[in-house]
Amino acid sequence: MTARDTILNAVRLGLTTPGVDPAAIRREAAALLVDPAARRPSLLSDSLVDAFIARVTSPKVAATAERIGTATELPDVVRRYLESRQLPAVVALQPAAILQSLDWSGFEKHDRVAADETIAVGVARWAIAETGSLVFHSDAETPILANFLPLHHVVLLRANTVLAYLEDYAAATAGQRPPRNVNIITGASGTTDIEGSLVLGAHGPRYLHVVIVDEHSALDEAQITA
Amino acid sequence: MTQPQSASRPPSPPRVGLFVTCLVDAMRPSVGFAALKLLRDAGCRVEVPEAQTCCGQPAFNSGDTADTAVLARRFIEAFEPYDYVVAPSGSCVGMTRAHYVEALADDPAWAERARRLADRTYELMSFLVDVMHFTPAGVKLDATVTYHDSCSGLRELGVYAQPRALLDSVSGLSLMPLEGNDVCCGFGGTFCVKYPAISNAVVAEKADAIDRSGARLLLGGDLGCLMNMAGKLKRKGSRVRAFHAAEVLAGMGDGPAIGEER
Amino acid sequence: MQEAPMSFKARAERALADPTLKLAIDRTTGTAERKRAVAMTQFPQFEAARECGKRIKDHVIAHLDHYLLEFERNAIASGAKVHWARTAEEASQIVVSLCRQAGAKRVTRVKSMLGEEIGLPHALDEAGIERVETDLAEHIVQLGGDRPSHIVWPSMHRTREQVSEMFKRSHRAPHREETIEAMVDSARRELRDKFLSADVAISGANFLVADTGATCTVTNEGNAELTTTPPRVHIVTAGIEKLVPTTAHAFAMLRLLVRSATGADVTQYTTFHCGPKQPGDRDGPEEFHIVLVDNGRTRMLREGLKEMLRCIRCGACMNHCVVFRQLGGHVYGGTYPGPMGAVLTPVFDGLKSSRDLPHACTLNGKCQEVCPVDIPLPTLLRGWRDRSWREGLEPASMRVGMGLFTFVASRPRLYRLATAVAIRVMRLFSRGGTVRGMPGLGAWTAHREFPAPAERSFMAMYKDLEKGQ
Repeated sequence: MTARDTILNAVRLGLTTPGVDPAAIRREAAALLVDPAARRPSLLSDSLVDAFIARVTSPKVAATAERIGTATELPDVVRRYLESRQLPAVVALQPAAILQSLDWSGFEKHDRVAADETIAVGVARWAIAETGSLVFHSDAETPILANFLPLHHVVLLRANTVLAYLEDYAAATAGQRPPRNVNIITGASGTTDIEGSLVLGAHGPRYLHVVIVDEHSALDEAQITA
Repeated sequence: MTQPQSASRPPSPPRVGLFVTCLVDAMRPSVGFAALKLLRDAGCRVEVPEAQTCCGQPAFNSGDTADTAVLARRFIEAFEPYDYVVAPSGSCVGMTRAHYVEALADDPAWAERARRLADRTYELMSFLVDVMHFTPAGVKLDATVTYHDSCSGLRELGVYAQPRALLDSVSGLSLMPLEGNDVCCGFGGTFCVKYPAISNAVVAEKADAIDRSGARLLLGGDLGCLMNMAGKLKRKGSRVRAFHAAEVLAGMGDGPAIGEER
Repeated sequence: MQEAPMSFKARAERALADPTLKLAIDRTTGTAERKRAVAMTQFPQFEAARECGKRIKDHVIAHLDHYLLEFERNAIASGAKVHWARTAEEASQIVVSLCRQAGAKRVTRVKSMLGEEIGLPHALDEAGIERVETDLAEHIVQLGGDRPSHIVWPSMHRTREQVSEMFKRSHRAPHREETIEAMVDSARRELRDKFLSADVAISGANFLVADTGATCTVTNEGNAELTTTPPRVHIVTAGIEKLVPTTAHAFAMLRLLVRSATGADVTQYTTFHCGPKQPGDRDGPEEFHIVLVDNGRTRMLREGLKEMLRCIRCGACMNHCVVFRQLGGHVYGGTYPGPMGAVLTPVFDGLKSSRDLPHACTLNGKCQEVCPVDIPLPTLLRGWRDRSWREGLEPASMRVGMGLFTFVASRPRLYRLATAVAIRVMRLFSRGGTVRGMPGLGAWTAHREFPAPAERSFMAMYKDLEKGQ
């Protein structure tokens, strides 16, 4: 007997009611998730964007955030970010159309992230207000390493992609073929492995800066449905 | 896991079978007399069944289910005639309330008798407060005290507020918070003699916390835990003295503490 | 630090005599306990969430065959290769042979308790494959040449001073400043190029999502994604109890897991892995393997340990365990320490060699109170004690003693007499309210005073009082 059969047989021997109708199991599973409000924390604000910002900048997540009117302001935001930290104007730019289309003159930019990359600029697909998380899907425009190699990660987020709860992300992607990787990123990399004290920048980024753009352009639309 | 015991109206006056526990019987009878007094003051008709010995907890926690069942059946026979069974110990009551059914599971008739008795079995302080709605009157003790919540009472029976409510009525007494009041003292029944070195390390930390509380007296609701902590406090030269809370509530707080010469 | 030949008690005494270890344990578990307490005050929905989490796990376990097959089907559809392993040896052999097939010289590993459970580090080392532990704590464990001592903080047994020394000894460009920040930086520099040059990545899974075939890992350092993205092959090992029906169920569990483990609301990185690199993807492995491991789990299902399969490996039980906090993790001798380890180790290693674990516990119930899926740990531990008694593993002195006690205690008049004799004997040894030097009381009196009994028992005095009335 194969290991697979042995295990499945052993599982069935241990169950009180094996062979239940799959549809009934699915119904039972769905019923477990009723009344989500009773078992989730409340949001920090009625506005999803405000709730997200409050969470992502709270000491627990410890990222920084700012709002801009249109995506075209992003290069200026990045310029100021770098200047205030006395960093050179060299950025790794996620190969996403919305970012590539912006005016990056004055920057030295590339789309392959190096092992010791100082700063990468990316764009999140969604955000979660509940946790202050950013959501990325691996695809042609989203190398996963770009989210993890740089020391500074600056992420553009469209205000209309902020979801309330983690389950809302699951609902938004239900029925779609999952990407190879879904990264739900909440703040900068951290470790508590030495005596339980929190230190940021363990292996991933030490700094996470979220730039929320309010504008809802045709370009954004294209990105969302991509 | 913790279910507040039901607060149904007692038949008046209720007939209470007092289980003093084997430890109180042999080591510190004053706790039994304190319980007796408090129950009578609360308006109960109290009897002390002669057939009582030990609830069987040591056997149960050692994995000896056969011997547990023998003692559990004995206990049930001795206490079945009463309206209520009350004991000045969270762990013995936890045993009878929470574990007899389990220990007698092989025998449905006995398991049913255990279940019915369990519903009427109470830890002393929760019985006084939740069932009898009792407040001791005229008790005075000028002392700073701190309270250790013994684990079985706290987690199996939900005993937390009741001793505090009762102690609140003792004039002159002030309750100091105990850091880690709900952390096990390291007694654990036979654990403390099976693994003495570990038990010692746990109770040493407990004794330090008790000292830090600044209280003059340590109170609790389980004699086993109290003997463990009192013994450690004395060994380390602490001046904190230990009493069962029932003793203080019955006005015996000026007598010899646990481990003091009588 | 190979400590197998030492008895549990000897290991315990050695740990108790190590003040540096105690300092390290207190620093980490103390912080964990405080942070969890704060997280709980900010999450009043915890009880409802916990009930839901418990029911999700029970539901999955009750239909485990269904969910295993659904997961397998979806994982295969995503391009993953699914392997099944009955035992620890079979699981680590599958991983080693996959590494060999990939021609792997260097593998990077993400911390996984299952990997430890199946002896993967050892199997890789035996096979002559260079193994790079990328989780900071596992890196410290690897440098120290010992074993993890906690499931969330594997190097909890090391103080910052010890870590500093290790890094200085082995890192190519070690820290100069004696701060934890500088040490973390040193590890960052040390491991950077190793992420990118590995041939195979090996990780575990916190959840297996049945309806997508995805595996989910939750981490804080970012090492997991840096590990699993660059190599050509990614292998996931996971216990068969890790299944959840859907992504939404995984999120419901996630809220419980993270708060219970570290006191954060979510981990910094929650990543779902679904198959290998897809057409057009910028990065990711060409091959994605999932090894589903039984290793005693189906036995637990049959042998009264079903509730233990709820365990989501948060470590709250050990952080709040008075025994663990005195001993640390190594004393437990298995992969999993603390209360959950005391339940699991007898499953993996047999009760005979591990009978001390379920006994070295005060049954105080704190572990169940903090368990995010309400596992009745004290009841399960007592279950092992029952079995140990039934199988005759308890010492003869204990068995005879308990039998004698029951004989006496079930005869009230004999019991009264025995009590009177015991009181008399104890009082013979009493001075100043304390029993001293009495044979048989040494285990107690070595460490604390034994309060002397009153002159007569309660029952004797009460009888006299009643007569007098």
